[in-house]
Amino acid sequence: MTADQRKHLAVLAAIWAALLFAPYWMPFFGGYTALGSRVLVLGLGAMSVNFLLGFTGVLSFGHAAWFGLGAYACGLTLKHIALSTPLGLLAGTLVGGVAGALLGALLVRRRGIYFAMVTIAFGQVFYYIAFQWLSLTGGDDGLRGFARQPLDFGLFQIDLLHNDIYFYYFVLFCFAVAVGLMAFILGSPFGRTMIAIRENERRARFLGIPVELHIWIAFALSCFFMAFAGSLYALVNNFADPRMLHYSLSGDFVIMAVMGGMRTFWGPLLGAIVFVVLQDYISSVTVNWMSFIGLLIVLIVLFFPRGFLGMLRPRRTA
Amino acid sequence: MSKKRQSLATLDRRTFVKAGGVAALSQVAAPFIISARGETALKIGVDEPLTGTYAAPGKNEVLGCQLAVDELNAKNGILGRKVEMLTEDSTSGDAGTAVQKARKLIERDNVNLLVGNVNSALSQAMAQVSNEKGIMHIVPGGHTDPITGADCKWNVFRVCNTTRMEANAVCGLLFKTYGKKWHFITPDYAFGHTLYQGCEADLKKLGGTVTGNELTPLGTTDFSAYLIKARAANPDVLVVLVQGNDMVNCLKQISQFGIDKQIHVAGTQQELESVEAMPPEARVGVWMFEWYWKQASGTPGLDAFIATVRKHTGGKVPTARNWFGYVTVHAYALACEKAKSIEGKAVAKALGGLELPPEVKLQPNKVYFRGGDHQLMLSAFIGELLQKGDGDPENLFKVNSIVSGDSIAPTVEETGCKMQMPA
Repeated sequence: MTADQRKHLAVLAAIWAALLFAPYWMPFFGGYTALGSRVLVLGLGAMSVNFLLGFTGVLSFGHAAWFGLGAYACGLTLKHIALSTPLGLLAGTLVGGVAGALLGALLVRRRGIYFAMVTIAFGQVFYYIAFQWLSLTGGDDGLRGFARQPLDFGLFQIDLLHNDIYFYYFVLFCFAVAVGLMAFILGSPFGRTMIAIRENERRARFLGIPVELHIWIAFALSCFFMAFAGSLYALVNNFADPRMLHYSLSGDFVIMAVMGGMRTFWGPLLGAIVFVVLQDYISSVTVNWMSFIGLLIVLIVLFFPRGFLGMLRPRRTA
Repeated sequence: MSKKRQSLATLDRRTFVKAGGVAALSQVAAPFIISARGETALKIGVDEPLTGTYAAPGKNEVLGCQLAVDELNAKNGILGRKVEMLTEDSTSGDAGTAVQKARKLIERDNVNLLVGNVNSALSQAMAQVSNEKGIMHIVPGGHTDPITGADCKWNVFRVCNTTRMEANAVCGLLFKTYGKKWHFITPDYAFGHTLYQGCEADLKKLGGTVTGNELTPLGTTDFSAYLIKARAANPDVLVVLVQGNDMVNCLKQISQFGIDKQIHVAGTQQELESVEAMPPEARVGVWMFEWYWKQASGTPGLDAFIATVRKHTGGKVPTARNWFGYVTVHAYALACEKAKSIEGKAVAKALGGLELPPEVKLQPNKVYFRGGDHQLMLSAFIGELLQKGDGDPENLFKVNSIVSGDSIAPTVEETGCKMQMPA
């Protein structure tokens, strides 16, 4: 027990230390600060997908829709409503999360492949809206003309736009808050019922757990996290485009979660690191970078079906 | 309780050790990076489509840039500094990726000049990034008007035509030759939208009518539904505005359906990359090229340019895209030499108003960057497609006239550009 806990805390400390000092050690390996911010944001997205996939056992293939809605809402807020980064984030999180929660209510009775199909369908609806609504979203050209604003604390300001390192720490702070909240939920009794549903839905139902309601809450929470990640992503690039809502991006998030280890808490972050960094490096070398990611996924699914972190776990959890 | 305290103590020690280690490492890191900066060559970051529907023009622009870089390095570089070129695949239509790559080139590689893109929407998205970072940016081949119009920026220049210039170059001729009822097939993004607006305005002025406009998403492979609608509308001319592989697919299907036997097929911008990828029977209609390799003999530097490109492409002739890339890098080098500096604002000032020398412009008319909107005034080569090569298997276009850029471009005021240099 103590040894386990100690190990757990040591791992946590290592993860946070690595993240905290990332702007300083990344350049040694050819990384750069903006890449770090992107990894964190996509990692948060993958962890949000995994919140549902790994801990409730429900596979959504349309989560990019909430990610993209968050990005558009954040961008449009900054462009038209108010020049405030926190307000943009709040608006993005609310719009994406509420849309996800509302549609989630229609989804919770479906299971397995049917659930995944309906999530794709809903996701594509938003994709085509973003693609066609030229006057609002800029269509296929994407949404431009907004930029992240300095954080104003009255006495002093933090310039997020021109200082990449400040922005990285801002993203890291947001990431830490979201991940902390996620861990808190998973550790709560509600989080336990999510795992119970994943393990044996019928048994959970016989125990008196309102399964549909709990899946809906888990789905809605996951959408809020996803929309938060999407809003951050709009700030990373100062740009949003319809591909952020496309199901292929949903697929990328699922790939990150599966690659990293979908039943582990930190696995998706590791998956996102591998995915994003590989994409960044290999795509500079060859245009066929997708083949390499594809090959990696095939190898992982064949030999390490529990992902990177899953294979590190001792057998007793198997 | 004691357990908890113990584990907290472990956390502290481990964090401390790790943090200490990383902090120690960072002490070594900082001077290492700074020492590397002074020795770097002048860097040109090229962010162009190497995959997807615009892969062929994208790769040709990259080749054009590379030829110019080779020429510069063989002489004196730029201001005595070697020139290094970094290439990234922006994809053909994914603006998010193009933005990401532009940031990578600027933030990680510290490029002095950003080059790109073939795709108009991607060019606009990249221009926002380069402007935010204050980096010189030349758009070799993205045509949509706002880049050097309503959305113009002090650091952004463009080599290829605007969509309005393309429309002005051929609409009159199309109207006169083929008739007044037009039906459009338009790519559904920035380039298509502004090109359609330009053609529509010109057509209205001439007294013609539009029977319909089919908006097709970039990367469409099956045009049959659009073509059936176009045929049912019974226009005089079917105006094809899509580009790249989309153009190839569309014209192939037009000839398979036999539409070219019933309706005249034409368009504005046409490119050698697309024409060569088409079956001969699909090569029909009146078009404009933005640069064409077969010109009157005696054009200075042209034969040498053709020979160099042939050497690099296994015998293929240069296309307009090769020329765009070539002009992009040479224009930047000329501006740096003129300004005697590589500092962004000085170079931008020098490039505004710069006239291209004969060995770079490779055509008869005067070619220069307009200072007011940073648009290159280049000629339009207007003529007809040939089904079979005339004299050379790649001479697939008969040039009827070469019109100077000044005569087809709207004035700076009409473009809506209000150029503002930073303080």
